[in-house]
Amino acid sequence: MSRAAHNSLADDLLRPVLHSSRAFYITAAILGTIVLCGLSTWFYQIYYGIGVTGDNWPVFWGFHETNFVFWIGISHAGTLISAILRIVNATWRRPVTRCAEVITAFALMIGAMFPLIHLGRPWLAWWLIPYPSERGLWPNYRSPLVWDFFAINTYLLSSLLFLALPAIPDMALIRDRTKGWRRTLYGKLSLGWQGTPKQWHRLESAMHLMALAIIPIAVSVHTIVSFDFSMAVVPMWHSTIFGPYFVAGAIFSGIAALNIVMAVIRKLLHLEKYLQPVHFQNLGKLMLAMSLLWGYFVFNERLVTWYGNTTHEMTALWSTQMGRYSPLFWTMVFCNFILPFPLLTIKRLRSITSTVVASCGVVVGMWIERFLIIVPSLSYKSMPYSWGSYMPRWPEIVILASSFAAMGLLYLLFSKFIPIISIWEMKVGEHPEIQIAAQVQEAEAAGELT
Amino acid sequence: MDRRDFLKITAASGASATLASCGNPEHSMVRFIPEEELSGGVAVWKPSICPLCPAGCGMLVRVMDGEAEVIRNGKKGTIQMGLAKKLEGNPNHPISQGKLCVRGQAAIQVTYHPDRIIHPLKRSGARGTGPFQEITWDEAMSMLVSQLNGLAASGNQKAAVFLTKPMRDQRQTLISEFSSRFGASVPVTFDPLGDHVLRRANARSFGYDQLPTFDIGRSRYVLSFGADFLGTWNSPVTQSIGYGDMRQGKLQDQPAKRGKFVQFEARMSQTGANADEWIPVNPGTEGVLALGLAHVIMKAGLRKPEAVGAAGSQIAGWPGLADYAPEEVEKRTGVKAERVKRIAKEFANNGPAIAIIGGSPLAHTNGMFGALAVNALNALIGNAGAGNGESPMGFMRQPKPNADQNRHFESFIADAAQNNERVKVLLLHEANPVYGSPPAWRVRETLSKIPFIASFGSFIDETSILADLILPDHSFLESWVDHIAESGDSGPVIGLAPPAMHALHQTRAMPDVLLDASRKLAKPLGPPMPWKSYEEMLKASVEAVDPSKDAWKSAQQLGGVMPPANVSLPAPQTTRGGSPLSYSEPQFDGDAGQFPFHFLPFQSQAFLDGSLAHLPWLQELPDVLTTAMWSSWVELNPQTAARLGIAAGDTIEVSSNHGNLQSPAVISPGIAPNIIAMPMGQGHETFTRFASGRGANPISILAPMTEPETGSLAWAATRVRVAKVQSPSKSKLILFAGSLREHPEDIGR
Amino acid sequence: MPHHWGMAVDLDRCTGCEACVVACHAENNIATVGDSEAARGRAMHWIRVERYWEGEFPEVKVKFRPVFCQQCDNAPCEPVCPTYASAHSEEGLNAQIYNRCIGTRYCANACTYNVRFFNFYPPAWEKPLHLQLNPDVSVREGGVMEKCTFCVQRINAAEVAAGMQKRTLMDGEIQPACVQSCTANALVFGDLNDPESAVSKLAESPRGTKLLEELGTKPKVTYLLKESWHESRGA
Repeated sequence: MSRAAHNSLADDLLRPVLHSSRAFYITAAILGTIVLCGLSTWFYQIYYGIGVTGDNWPVFWGFHETNFVFWIGISHAGTLISAILRIVNATWRRPVTRCAEVITAFALMIGAMFPLIHLGRPWLAWWLIPYPSERGLWPNYRSPLVWDFFAINTYLLSSLLFLALPAIPDMALIRDRTKGWRRTLYGKLSLGWQGTPKQWHRLESAMHLMALAIIPIAVSVHTIVSFDFSMAVVPMWHSTIFGPYFVAGAIFSGIAALNIVMAVIRKLLHLEKYLQPVHFQNLGKLMLAMSLLWGYFVFNERLVTWYGNTTHEMTALWSTQMGRYSPLFWTMVFCNFILPFPLLTIKRLRSITSTVVASCGVVVGMWIERFLIIVPSLSYKSMPYSWGSYMPRWPEIVILASSFAAMGLLYLLFSKFIPIISIWEMKVGEHPEIQIAAQVQEAEAAGELT
Repeated sequence: MDRRDFLKITAASGASATLASCGNPEHSMVRFIPEEELSGGVAVWKPSICPLCPAGCGMLVRVMDGEAEVIRNGKKGTIQMGLAKKLEGNPNHPISQGKLCVRGQAAIQVTYHPDRIIHPLKRSGARGTGPFQEITWDEAMSMLVSQLNGLAASGNQKAAVFLTKPMRDQRQTLISEFSSRFGASVPVTFDPLGDHVLRRANARSFGYDQLPTFDIGRSRYVLSFGADFLGTWNSPVTQSIGYGDMRQGKLQDQPAKRGKFVQFEARMSQTGANADEWIPVNPGTEGVLALGLAHVIMKAGLRKPEAVGAAGSQIAGWPGLADYAPEEVEKRTGVKAERVKRIAKEFANNGPAIAIIGGSPLAHTNGMFGALAVNALNALIGNAGAGNGESPMGFMRQPKPNADQNRHFESFIADAAQNNERVKVLLLHEANPVYGSPPAWRVRETLSKIPFIASFGSFIDETSILADLILPDHSFLESWVDHIAESGDSGPVIGLAPPAMHALHQTRAMPDVLLDASRKLAKPLGPPMPWKSYEEMLKASVEAVDPSKDAWKSAQQLGGVMPPANVSLPAPQTTRGGSPLSYSEPQFDGDAGQFPFHFLPFQSQAFLDGSLAHLPWLQELPDVLTTAMWSSWVELNPQTAARLGIAAGDTIEVSSNHGNLQSPAVISPGIAPNIIAMPMGQGHETFTRFASGRGANPISILAPMTEPETGSLAWAATRVRVAKVQSPSKSKLILFAGSLREHPEDIGR
Repeated sequence: MPHHWGMAVDLDRCTGCEACVVACHAENNIATVGDSEAARGRAMHWIRVERYWEGEFPEVKVKFRPVFCQQCDNAPCEPVCPTYASAHSEEGLNAQIYNRCIGTRYCANACTYNVRFFNFYPPAWEKPLHLQLNPDVSVREGGVMEKCTFCVQRINAAEVAAGMQKRTLMDGEIQPACVQSCTANALVFGDLNDPESAVSKLAESPRGTKLLEELGTKPKVTYLLKESWHESRGA
């Protein structure tokens, strides 16, 4: 590849960072408004009390908690997929990894808001933080909510690191290509990156280590989220399958989210050259595999419950198969299985559009799945006298909508901050023969390493 | 000058200094000197009497020191005062024995109700529309006195009349005395759901014109004909205590043989829900069933016909009872002949046994027959009603019967409506006939024509809103209370208690207002009332029954004159007899073709006849069978509902010849297919923020059918039709529970 | 040995009168939520009388069962609370420490008996109904979970009184509000560590069962099943 091609790649990918169109401002304004609506609704909820939601006796958890599980699930798109692809050195990953990692960071931030949003007294949320307080009380380490606190914070910190590390060379690139405040800002952020072989080597090793470390962290996070439910003796919650079931669902919904995001930025930022059908196809295959895995888990969960035939579990089970919640259940099966299966298997149907359609289905379906895990079980707990039901009210719907808007807005703003496709990785990817290995050899020869 | 006076003066000057110096209203708050000595945080228990139903349970009131915003001498301020915090049963009291029912527990909210009338009021708008204006007690008293003076001046004292709820205390005596000395008409009692039929039947069968007392705890077999004796009927607390003992013995004792309980009724009540056998019976045929049982017992030789004594002479055809062979009984009542035989034998062989009749069986046109038949059944197995301690059924000894000397509202309103009764001044005390009467009685129209109505009530309800003058009474916790029990123990039980706390508001005790008015009349009463205050009157009444020296003091401490006090009174005997009755078909209002269902209103667990619908705790209490809160509802059988296309929660319209109402449907397996049942209590137009405009009132569609001998309202004798309402206007059913059933095989998926 | 408080509920005595329900409201400052909130399923009844229909008309029966916090010894509500608002007391009670509660509502979801109630809005008493509030019981804030305490304020008061008089507590000396009001004496409260107490004896009854015992929550409330009547059998 010629130097000119190199420059055009950098120009293409840097353009969104350096130039903002009218469309950007309009989109940002719309998304920002929705996010503001969500924030005001949250303040409204804090002011009047959690009673503005549809939560009740006995369904004490509803939309907010569904959103929590959903967004933490979405967060598995990125870092986990990117880490796996890095480890197996899938070369097609290069334009995809950063897209994915950004999803993780923001989905986690949004997801982690919901445990705060759902509190009856959110102004006391800091009591979850372990520190020697004047109350002489540490958090209860037996509580899965405290495990959540640690798991999510660990995952968030490592994901941010995982996102930030490979961004350093690109920051340096921006530093070198701009003047004024950008130069100063990116100068600081690029941490003195000069592209020396030693720096490259360290970056590569760090990335490798992080990729290895983050996989168990990601798996543990959604397992621990699943513990929020499976640790309680609630019908259909108290299940050993929940850990892997939640992780599989999380990756499933994460890939779907990634497909949608890629398709959107591909169009908006004119990145057709970089995000090609092959990427969608590969991710589509992965999603298909996860759809099958997810279907297997759902079948397994339900078969075991049905075969076990205990009174209380059967009630919760039937409420989703044929009862009050069955329309949602069958919608979910359609979205997560019946819709994606043909779109992703039949070669003639495979296209970017069809992958995105399937992905949209999966995102909706996985949100419903989270809802169906939480609400029917709470509606039909062990004492029939106290059975109940749940209907969301407007504050929960607004907050749900604004969580999606927040994702869009954060993503949009981020694309103005760092190229959404890693420039240096693309460059390396297009010259596999002059990979870093060559530079490393050079460096070794120069005695810089050892 | 003692310490208190000194404190008062300093406080007053302190308060005025504060008033002068501060513009902030918070700071201008006057702090009054406490009216009593109480240690902070330490509870004192004071006796009182539950006023909510005629049973008259003795209470203990937990009084603690607290701060209340009050008005004293026209000044707003806070005062440290003893405040009632919790009501418990009085363990010394033979009726309540330390227990209270659900309503008694809620009675404390009467005192602290946010919509209580807190000062005298004068009507300031058109009658019945609501606007009232605050006046002083001086103005109020002079309005009342001038009205009475006006009648006396024209020699028309007869045009004054008292209208009260049924009362069993000295207030009743006071009102009677005032009325007779003033020359007013005989006081009128509003008690359409009262058990007059049963009292009359008891007089005929046993010679006691009162409700019976049952020793359920000692009974080993209880047959109940429609009586909700664990919920709302007669003396539910005593009866519930006895029920527990009947099942599993006294708490610490070795349990006796477990008693059996059989309930006959067409709609399962809270009481019926506890039965070992719950047996639906065709409405109005309970007497046939009772005689069917008697027939079997006598035929099997389990009892000799003579055992019945005088009670048998009230039944035509006794002792042969040829018309009441089990097969005949099956035809009329719907209870299988075999079952009648089995239960009859069990009943006779497992004594002590009792048969109870109450509620809707008495509210048919043939209610008297039913009551006499059950009395005969009781007498046959040895419950002659002597109350001699042998039989588990008896009649309580008491100082004197008083309720029935009053005129019944039914005859009063009929005369008043026809202008035969020219009432000029109506004095209203805690009766709400506008709400509680069938529409055909035209109560609102009739009362509206009375030139002057004064009410002593604490709340604006459908009747007191018609008043020209409201002289709000103290709540029971703020006044001297007393009660003469009619049933519940072998007796006698005279409950009595001083005020448990000072008055919160600018109210005055009704008896003292009346005594005060009697002294202010231009033409003195002849002879004047012998008591200066109600307290004095109560003291005299206690001394009359118990001449011992410290009777008055101990009555105040114990909460009444109760055994083993030095009292010996006979049960009030009346003459027995009357012409023997035979079964006659119950008459119903409405053609069976057009109105296919029997309409069965029932007193609700929470509100009784509706007089308690203003208490928020009771509104939010889930009805134990339906779990409905804040709602009214109509109960119907699943088959009936399916036939009419009605689903649970649908709004349905219930229509009789006399009106219609809309209410949500509850589909209940505990009701016969030809019955539509509905709780009383809701459907108030005006009755505080908690009850107004909520649900529907079943009394508003009742026909004015009566039991001929007593003239009592036959409130179970209306036929109705029901239909689903396509576009319901309001009324939502709020249920607490999720599922009707516990086992999945019962739960329709 | 510390006390270990427990209850026995004799279902053969319970009449479904619900005096316990209102007695509990009066004693424990439980707010009335009003009709629209009740319609949303937010009515708070620390004790409720469950009713289950069995059979069909006319052979229909009803089962009443008062249900309140079972004060489990292995309580599902306790480990899940991140702030120790739901904690076990030395006398075996599942204490709910209102000040620690941040309102995750996790305990209420974990509770298999659904006996925990949440203040979805700050509770309110329309003046002067507030004058009835029991000064011995804290009034909860909005966003806080609450539940049956076995009337811990009465337990504490009796223990303090007995301590001042230098004597041990007598069986039956402490009565929670529901027990005190129970007309048919269906509820019995006492110390399960005292083998002579009435509640200990009832807990040994052959009629005794525990609610959802199979879940391993070790509830401290024994339910004595309803008996059926046999003409020949004495007791």
